[in-house]
Amino acid sequence: MKAWSNSLRILTALSASAVLASCTEKLDSSGVCAVLCPPLGGAVQNVTIEAVAFDTTVNALSGLGAEPGLVLAARGDTLDARVILRFDSLPDTYRQGTDTAKPITVIDSATLRFRLDTLRIKGAGPVTIEAYDVDTDANDTSAAAVLALFTPERFVGSQTYTRAQLKDTLDYVLPGAHVLSKSQNRQRLRLGLRAVSSSSTQLLLSSEEGGAAPRLRFRVSADTSIAPFVLAPFSKTPVDDPVVSNNLGDYTVFARRPPEGGPTELDVGGMPVRRAYFRFDIPSNILDSSTIIRATLLLNQVANPLLDPTDTVFVLPQLVLAGAAVTDPVKAAQITTGLGIDTVKVRPGDAGLTLVELSAAFQVWRAVKATESPHAIVLRARNEGTSPLQVRFSSLEAAPALRPRLRISFTNEVPLGLP
Amino acid sequence: MLRLSMAAFAVSLGLATGVAAQGALSVQGLGFPPGQMSTRAEGSGGSTSDFDPLSPINPASLSTVGLTSLFLQYAPEFRKVNAGSGSANTTTARFPIFGAVLPLGGSWTGGFSASTFLDRSFETRSQRTEIVGGPDDVVEVTERLRVLGAINDLRIGMAWASGPRLRIGAGAHLFTGRNRLTLDEIYSDSVRNTSNTQQSLVSYSGFAGSVGVSYHPSRVIGFALSGRKGGELRARSGDTAVAEATIPDRVSAGVTYEGITGATLSARVSREAWSSLEGLSGSGDVFDGWDSSVGAEVSGPRIMQRVVTLRAGGRYRTLPFGFDGARVRETAFMAGFGAPLTRNRATLDFAVQRAARSSAGGVDERGFIFSFGLRVSP
Repeated sequence: MKAWSNSLRILTALSASAVLASCTEKLDSSGVCAVLCPPLGGAVQNVTIEAVAFDTTVNALSGLGAEPGLVLAARGDTLDARVILRFDSLPDTYRQGTDTAKPITVIDSATLRFRLDTLRIKGAGPVTIEAYDVDTDANDTSAAAVLALFTPERFVGSQTYTRAQLKDTLDYVLPGAHVLSKSQNRQRLRLGLRAVSSSSTQLLLSSEEGGAAPRLRFRVSADTSIAPFVLAPFSKTPVDDPVVSNNLGDYTVFARRPPEGGPTELDVGGMPVRRAYFRFDIPSNILDSSTIIRATLLLNQVANPLLDPTDTVFVLPQLVLAGAAVTDPVKAAQITTGLGIDTVKVRPGDAGLTLVELSAAFQVWRAVKATESPHAIVLRARNEGTSPLQVRFSSLEAAPALRPRLRISFTNEVPLGLP
Repeated sequence: MLRLSMAAFAVSLGLATGVAAQGALSVQGLGFPPGQMSTRAEGSGGSTSDFDPLSPINPASLSTVGLTSLFLQYAPEFRKVNAGSGSANTTTARFPIFGAVLPLGGSWTGGFSASTFLDRSFETRSQRTEIVGGPDDVVEVTERLRVLGAINDLRIGMAWASGPRLRIGAGAHLFTGRNRLTLDEIYSDSVRNTSNTQQSLVSYSGFAGSVGVSYHPSRVIGFALSGRKGGELRARSGDTAVAEATIPDRVSAGVTYEGITGATLSARVSREAWSSLEGLSGSGDVFDGWDSSVGAEVSGPRIMQRVVTLRAGGRYRTLPFGFDGARVRETAFMAGFGAPLTRNRATLDFAVQRAARSSAGGVDERGFIFSFGLRVSP
């Protein structure tokens, strides 16, 4: 009897173990799939089609001065970029404690303070930054009118920096007398900065739109208990357009720059900033009835060797969210979102095939009809507005072999359900 | 003609061709038939199924239960599949039978049961390569298929007994269930490639009827005969019928001998026309099958004032869905016991089954099925 009881106990323990072991199902029988699991998935079909229905180059950002960076460059015959700063509201009085306002009679330690991107300095030699008085009543957005004021008569001052002195905070000393004169005469202080160097040089300064605007700092008394004035760029004109006047507090003008791309080319990047806009017409039998594994936009890059041809430009494909009501591609190209699409690295001087992966965009396009929101993307530079580098691609106007094409890898749905 | 047009319709929906990556011999086609046998019947190889009121096979046996009873069975299977140089171990948890039997007074007994007719639960994972994009761009694809579901047999039965000698019963069966299939195709390099998940839900519904009789001409010997006539079984995806077939007809016969004191010997043979399911199985490897078993049940030791019943048996059958054009054969040996609990108001049964399955192509399968059955008379 005792033997039976022991056997029963052992059996009970084994049964309990079996129950516990079976609590978690393990259905995966992959180990025998070499024999028992013929592949189910459909073969991937790769097709290359001319699915780009429309392409164009459009301006990015909202016009002059909207860039997040200020480019100060002197690169020989290729690039001459100058920075304009407007301080249209200078104080002419100051207070000490609770005293009544006193007129400003002295200006000391007048300094422009910039935030400099030291990683993107071009040129190893010393650079001189010259300041000119560029105050004018000419058209606010006219680059030519401002550039014409960089004359000896308008010269304000200069300062030379060695490469070692170019730190992330860059102080530029202004003649106090010039600022005082503007203050006392209630005039606008509008400065044009120009880089001069015996070798090619380029500096990138942060703008107000970039979050770290240049600051004008000066003292009005030797008494250090009186706080110095610190002014941000401010433009009063144009008076009828506050957005533009806000942008024109600080901006870049180009005395010289590489020419725009040709009529058969699409431009990405550069200054003024350009984007390439593509609208697709994808066959519905692929878009609606297949599973897209990969979609690649095949572009022919056109060499643009004039400026830093071996530098890398990061091109971001972005999905256009604009609905069908937005028919202007310039406007549509501003209404975009990132999709986690891989950044494309290109060098402006290279030429040939460039691949832009778009499969993430297709996941959205499957859910949104082209009649509701055109299936479109834009290519933009990651350093948009802070780099003059521009890459170019052949457009639909180019020779047939060079035009943008779409390569789609897809599978048809696998019949599931019955064995 | 109707069947032909249904098949054409199914092809047009992309549902008729096969999901062949089933990863084991026993889950080919529409799945594995656990057998609809209670733990008690399994303990003796299944040979007493036609006499067993808790096995939803012969409705005539309902009248032997005596007391209102509820019954639940749990039967996990631990399986090892060998194919070529590979092997896989799986664990499948099943609750193959739930039932209730209710004596209605006089000579009548009613019963309800839900049992697993075909269990289709498996998961496979395999890898392949594809050319994606350019001609030199070879991408590795991991393909994972997960299928969960079953076709179940809901039976309402009624039995009439003319004393201990003759019992007659009939049952109405509703076959219902569904298979949820998920296919993941995971492409390497997720930045450039989009992986893909497909899901499908196929539901089944059909009707059948069964009749049975058991006859005990003397105290020592008994005979049972039962059969099921299948009706139409439809597969639907959403609201759309995608295929149809017929629930397999079945006929089975059993015999018991109780001429040895404290022992019951039994044998059973069954023929099931599984090929009627061919309309639902694109592979075409559907075979009618024999199921034969022998077993014994003896009174065992008395433990804690309870007489424990010991059981043993063997079974041979062919499974309905073949592999690579050949039948899958199963040989199983079982043993178990049953112990009354709480003044015979409940019974706990246990059976362990060692099953071996084989087919073409050097593929074989070994499994342990532990079966736990609890009958309660409230």
